[in-house]
This record gives sequence, C-alpha cells and structure tokens, in this order.
Amino acid sequence: MTTHNEPRQTHIDQPAPGASIIEEARQPGVDPCDVACDAMPGYLVGDLSTPEKLWLHEHTAGCNYCHNVFDSYERVGNALDDTATATPRPTLSVATALGLREARYGFLDTPVGPVLVATSDLGLCEVGYLAHRERDDVLGEIETRGLFPIENQASVRPATDQLGEYFAGKRHTFDLPIDFGAITPFTRDVLGATSRVPFGDVLTYGEIARRIGKPGASRAVGNALGRNPLPVVVPCHRIVRADGSMGWYTGGTGIKRRLLALEGIHFDQTRQLALGANVH
Amino acid sequence: MLATAGATMDQPPLEALGVGPTVAPSFSTVVADHGDAIYRYAWHLTRNQTDADDIYQETLLKAYRAYGKLDGDANHRAWLYRIASNTFISDRRKRNRENPLTEAMEQTVPAPAVEQADGLDARDLLREVEHSVTELPPKQRAALILRKYHEASYAEIAVSLNTSEVAARANVHEALKKLRTQFADRLDWIRP
Repeated sequence: MTTHNEPRQTHIDQPAPGASIIEEARQPGVDPCDVACDAMPGYLVGDLSTPEKLWLHEHTAGCNYCHNVFDSYERVGNALDDTATATPRPTLSVATALGLREARYGFLDTPVGPVLVATSDLGLCEVGYLAHRERDDVLGEIETRGLFPIENQASVRPATDQLGEYFAGKRHTFDLPIDFGAITPFTRDVLGATSRVPFGDVLTYGEIARRIGKPGASRAVGNALGRNPLPVVVPCHRIVRADGSMGWYTGGTGIKRRLLALEGIHFDQTRQLALGANVH
Repeated sequence: MLATAGATMDQPPLEALGVGPTVAPSFSTVVADHGDAIYRYAWHLTRNQTDADDIYQETLLKAYRAYGKLDGDANHRAWLYRIASNTFISDRRKRNRENPLTEAMEQTVPAPAVEQADGLDARDLLREVEHSVTELPPKQRAALILRKYHEASYAEIAVSLNTSEVAARANVHEALKKLRTQFADRLDWIRP
C-alpha cells in the first residue's frame, strides 16, 4: 500500500499560527465543534495558548460528541508520553563512527590565563592558550589534524599536573608522551631541537637552524615554531631573535615575557634581552 | 563617515582578532551539544538499535564532511535534524523501491498478534502505539517525533523536513488524527 503523506495545501483546514481558535469558532457559519476537533491534535503537542485550552475544555465539557473525541485524543497523548522510554546508547563512539582518533581535552588555569590541554591515544597533542582565543577555535584546529576532541578533564590530569608544577616553579622538564600528528620532518627536527633547550636558557632561531643542519633557515625555524602545538612543553618561548629581542610568540609576546621571567630571564626597557642572560 | 561597530582607527574590530561571538562552534562542540538528541531521534524514528546506529553514523559522517561549508550562524540543531531526517526518509524510500512487498515486514516493532478486549493490557497497548507510529508515513512520523519528543518548533521542523511551517504542522496533526482513529476505541478498554 502506498500512502500519499504530503498534505495538500489545506491552509483552511489548519488553524493558522497565531490565529485564535476562539475567534474562529465565533465566525458566522462555522460549527464550533469542527473548530474544537481540529484543534485537538494541536492541543496534544502544545500548539494552543492558555485561553484556547480553556475554551477547548469549556466546549468539550458542554458537548458530548466533542468530549468523547477529546478523551480519545488525550489517551493517545498519554500513550505517546508513555512510549518515550529510555533511549539506548549509540553502539559506536562519535570518533569511531567518523573514523577519527579521539583527543580528550581539559582546562588548566595558569598565570598566563586559561589553557586548553588535549591528549590523544599517543600522547599530548595540544596546549592552547585561551587568553586571546576562543575555545572552539582551538578545538577546530585539533579537528583539522584528524582528531575528534571530547571534553574529559581526568584524561589530561598528568599533563595539567606537570604544567601546574612548571608554573609554580617546581618543575623544569616535562615527562609526557607526545603526539605531534602528521608534521614535516623539518618541523619535527625544529621541535625536537627546541625541546632540548634547557630551562633558563635562550637560543636564537639561527642557532636552532644550525643545530638541525639547516644553517640560514632561521625564518623557516620561526614559522615552524609558530605552529608549535605544545607551547611550554616544547619550550619555543626560549627561542629569541639574534638581536636579543623576543620575537613573535604563539600566545603573544606578553606570555613569552612572563614565561622567560619565570625562568629567570628578563627583558630590559628596550625589550632587549638583559645583559648576562644565557644566550647562544 | 563609515564606522564599523567596535572598530576605531587604531583598534581592529573584535572579529579580526578571532574573539567574541563570531567564532563558530567547532564540529566537536556541535556534536557534544546535539549528538545525543540526534541519536534519540534516530531511535524514535526506527525503534531499532541497528537502524538507529546506521542513521546516526551516516548523519555524523555527512555533517562532518559538510561542516566546513556551513554558515557559522546556522541553527546547528535543525541542520543535524535535517540531515538525519533526509537519511531516514531516503533510506525508507530505497527499501520500498528495492522490495515493495517487504514494506510491511521491515517494520521493527512487531505488530501485536491478539486483539481482544479482555487480554489487552497497558503494555500491549504501548507496543501497539509504538508500532503504529513506525507505520506512519516517514514525514508524518518524523514531524510527530520532533514535535512530541524533541520540543521542536514548527519552524525547526520545517527546516528539518525541508518543507513549509504549514506543512510541518499539518504533518504532525495528520499523524495524531491517524493514531486516534486507530486507537480511540481500544484505548477506552484499558482506561483505569
């Protein structure tokens, strides 16, 4: 059996949104019982205003036929309420359904503002400053790496603990598995060399370029560090310009200055590295 | 002089900084906000976990692929309902085209076997109502479920089912009228 379920243009049959059924029932030549019965399905799904509901109750109380029809509609409504039983859970997680890996994320409050921390099955995959950036901007970036972010504070506990210790001045190195995702060998080398710069030291972009065997590639080194997904843990704040000025930083130079100050490195009034700093 | 709200000569508008309400939610946020409702919808439409899982997964995949092209101000909830509805309706159509004779057999909620006044208890009746809902034409079923179980406005239903608000309302009402004609008498028997 085929059913034609697309209703024809029966505007007259349907109470127009906003038009009162009370007024409609008062129109000359209109049978109030028709209006009442037509309004009953809408009554079940919250279409009627309070005065309209009152009118309907009043009308059905005084009309045997409408009363019976209304009664059966109400029972259909009750049955529908009762069949709204508990829904089972999906068999697949969203990440699995999409063929993606999960990145579980949580938050940490730091002296440089809130930070979003995410970890995949392989390791830490994002440290995102939220001081000047929306959470969803950071999440969207994680998604571009083929990961599906899910909020789960407990999963990032090791990372947030260690970061908390760093900001409290109690930790100089990090001991966390890392997931850089798909990055170029060059970027991997840059991040690797940067990771080996110890707490309290600063290096120039040019020196990193030299250390990875690409002398002269200091600009490319700067670009690669600009895309560092794990600031603080991969300490790109320890890389400065050859003239002793700070250079650009992913969370803004204000954060870079604070991180370096935390490590005992200070910039003077002219924003140059203060004399005596351990620059190579 | 032309002035953009919030922007001055030396201050860029907030949007340029990527802050403020102009940042569209990430896909994962949209799923976190509405994913459960979409699964519930798929379950209400099919009343069968395998079919609900299929619709849910296909909806997520389609949404994931299309998300980048979506306007950031879009009503994400209605957008997801629309993808789920389309998936459901085209799936039913496909099944009916491939084998019209199984149309009645594909229904997942078994039709109650006995129809006798004395033996009909409340549980039988609920099964029967569930069954009748799954036998409604797909669009009416979808409209009724959105209105009844998902608190959707008719505007949202119209978007979700790619139809007008008038037709959305008519679909809901038509579904309820059908259910009533089917059950009016029998519902009476089990009245406490």
